[in-house]
Amino acid sequence: MRRILIIAIPIVALLAVAPNRLNGYYLNLLYITVLYVGLAYGWNIISGYAGYFSFGQIAFFGIGAYATGLIVVNLQWHWILAALAGGLIACALSVPMGYVMLRLRGPFFAMGMFGLAQTSRVVITAIPATGGGSGLFLPPGSDLRSIYYWTLAVTLGAIALTMWIDRSAFGLRLQALREDEQVAGTLGIDVTLEKIYAFALSALIPGLLGGGYIWFLTYIEPDAAFSPRLDLQSVVMAILGGVGTVWGPLVGGVLMTQIAEALWARFPQIYLMIFGGLLVALLIVLPRGIVPALTSRIRRSV
Amino acid sequence: MSEPILSVTNVRVAFGGVQALAGVSLEIREGEILSLIGPNGAGKTTLFNVISGVLRPQHGDVRFLGRSIIGRPPHEIARLGIGRTYQIVRPFGSLSVVDNVAVGGLIHARSIAAARAAAREIVEFVGLGPFADRIAATLTLTQRKRLEVARALALRPRLLLLDEVMAGLTPSEMDTMADFVVRLGERGIGTVCGIEHVMRLVMRISHRIVVLDAGRCIAEGDPKAIQSDPRVIEAYLGAPLIETI
Amino acid sequence: MVIAQLVVNGVLLGGVLALSALGFNIIFGVMRVVNLAHGDFVVLSAVFCAVVFAQTNLNPLILLPLTGGAGFVLGALVHRYLLHRLPGEIASAEASSLTLTFGLSFLLAGAGLALFGGNYRSVPFLTGAYQLDGLSFPQARLLAFVAALALAVVLGLFLRFTAIGRAIRATSQNVEGALACGIDTDRVRTISFALGTAVATASGTLMSFIYNLNPQMGVLFTINAFAIVVIGGLGSYTGAVVGAIILGLAQSFSSYFAGATLSEAAPYILFILISLLLPSGLLGRRTA
Repeated sequence: MRRILIIAIPIVALLAVAPNRLNGYYLNLLYITVLYVGLAYGWNIISGYAGYFSFGQIAFFGIGAYATGLIVVNLQWHWILAALAGGLIACALSVPMGYVMLRLRGPFFAMGMFGLAQTSRVVITAIPATGGGSGLFLPPGSDLRSIYYWTLAVTLGAIALTMWIDRSAFGLRLQALREDEQVAGTLGIDVTLEKIYAFALSALIPGLLGGGYIWFLTYIEPDAAFSPRLDLQSVVMAILGGVGTVWGPLVGGVLMTQIAEALWARFPQIYLMIFGGLLVALLIVLPRGIVPALTSRIRRSV
Repeated sequence: MSEPILSVTNVRVAFGGVQALAGVSLEIREGEILSLIGPNGAGKTTLFNVISGVLRPQHGDVRFLGRSIIGRPPHEIARLGIGRTYQIVRPFGSLSVVDNVAVGGLIHARSIAAARAAAREIVEFVGLGPFADRIAATLTLTQRKRLEVARALALRPRLLLLDEVMAGLTPSEMDTMADFVVRLGERGIGTVCGIEHVMRLVMRISHRIVVLDAGRCIAEGDPKAIQSDPRVIEAYLGAPLIETI
Repeated sequence: MVIAQLVVNGVLLGGVLALSALGFNIIFGVMRVVNLAHGDFVVLSAVFCAVVFAQTNLNPLILLPLTGGAGFVLGALVHRYLLHRLPGEIASAEASSLTLTFGLSFLLAGAGLALFGGNYRSVPFLTGAYQLDGLSFPQARLLAFVAALALAVVLGLFLRFTAIGRAIRATSQNVEGALACGIDTDRVRTISFALGTAVATASGTLMSFIYNLNPQMGVLFTINAFAIVVIGGLGSYTGAVVGAIILGLAQSFSSYFAGATLSEAAPYILFILISLLLPSGLLGRRTA
């Protein structure tokens, strides 16, 4: 633990000071990196620790963004309160959704979650108050610096949460139910409850991040909020780094963001294709991800 | 051996057209080692599934320590004090041996560290000490069988259900396991119900035997009585039961 | 009368959906793999046919052997060099193949976008409709329905009466038994996957004269195929046909009654509902 803090504190300090030193483009890139890392961490809890691979966590990102937007437009709250509320609303909605969806397993859950994300998009587009397809525009209320700090705070919180989960009784229960749900039940684990906790956490994080994202864009529209591209990216990043590990999403997120942004800038047409291909290649070449591959190599050489 | 801690009354289970349990009644008494025997397909594992809450019967009741447990989810039943193992071992493959065992301990321990400490002790007890930190997937079958039992022990169950814990072991390993089952009384787990096919061990360690055939209870009594019961012999068509001690 | 028309539309739609679902079913039945890229094979084929038609006015039915063949080859390659090579598990074997086909889906959709652009396309030949008893039977849909039925029958005969077909059915029922009979199950799996994708691309060719499609719509067809297979019972061919008709009817009715925007979500909601209601989608049911 101490070793981690020794490395972490300077890095966090650097990240905190960064906005003062970086110009617009780099600050932008830093924000995006932190955002993607955060999304990957959110995905990692339900998919990596609980073993319920979800291809639709973006639903909560979008819900968080829209909830925040609607609160600001209609209730004129301060942007931090609005973003916080947005995240909490996404989390609250995830409980009944999870109660239903988590009855599904494997491919049904994965596809079902995708469907849930699409359904959320459609429903939100259909509600007139959200501006439908044209989107929702925000009045001024924040800036890139503030949004960066918000996102950094949420992502650091997500990392800390994951560190806690990894070594806690809750984490052990999740991993047990991931390995064998029926056996976990007969060993005293209330699998339904634990799954819902994991799912709610995996909704809170993207929800809070979404609340910040809408400020970043200063507007939101359905395709941006429920972007399949963002969803795919979280999956790839977590898998690249190492599913179900503490540092996997960080490693995968940081690496992948740089690659993603470079690709997106240069080859927007074939971007999705490359990303898809990357995921496929990763699964064949590095199925467990970078972090486990590194740690087992370190273990072997010691 | 005294009062029943578990009583099964007229339990019926059907899967589609197949009647797996056709009205089974039995009781398990405190402190006894009860063996559940019968030909394959007799419904023994199905009965275990009903008792542990994994399966809900269409009819009948199961009472544990005086309370009905029908309809309760498996985790509640585990907390009440019924632990079980599985016929085909199902370890948590990517977790360590200690963590596998610690899972059950979480219902008693105040922290994960306490659960792990208690788990280590149980791991020693079942003879897996040297492998405590190994990943469960790397264990041999014999070791996995012991892990299976260790996991259930972590629940500190009042009743332990062992499903064919001997299957796949060599004869000397079986004897060791049988001695182990008898020693469970030392740990305060005096009541064990085991599904078994290895007759010489069943006869050696059981206090009582219940025989199931085609979803029905066809005989019940002490080893000597069961050995000479013609219905039992008929059910087995005279095979392993001929071996006596 | 409206109802009757909705029924006609639904059944005709169901016929073509059935063909697509059969492809999905073969793969699932034999390998228990859910091919999340299924719909992308369908859509890619449809868009290809539309583009060819735009250049050459070529009847898509003529392209059927080409698209079917291409689908077969592509599927064989994907299985042999990708799916088959999946070394280990990320969380479980199921999660690995699921995520692989998820990535493949984006790969194919992206390739489609790059090659053909993002426009909605269809093959606008046969725009007339037969009128019978006041009901309209669009010619395009009718043709697609008949072609789908014909292909399904051919597929059925193939599975029943050829050696390979029997090997496929044997492997999907009992892998060990098939191995014991000397069946090369690895080869069977590759062939099944290839057959599944070939049927998908063939159905895509037929879809090109019913739908306006762009390369990013693949996921819709995957969800449809998945839903059909779940309704009809995983692995059952006749069930898939029944399921397809049911889904076709459901979509036909829901788009009429729920309006355009909301009915976009219909396939997804249906899928979730169906998965929840049917046992094959549920976890450890406790009631026997």
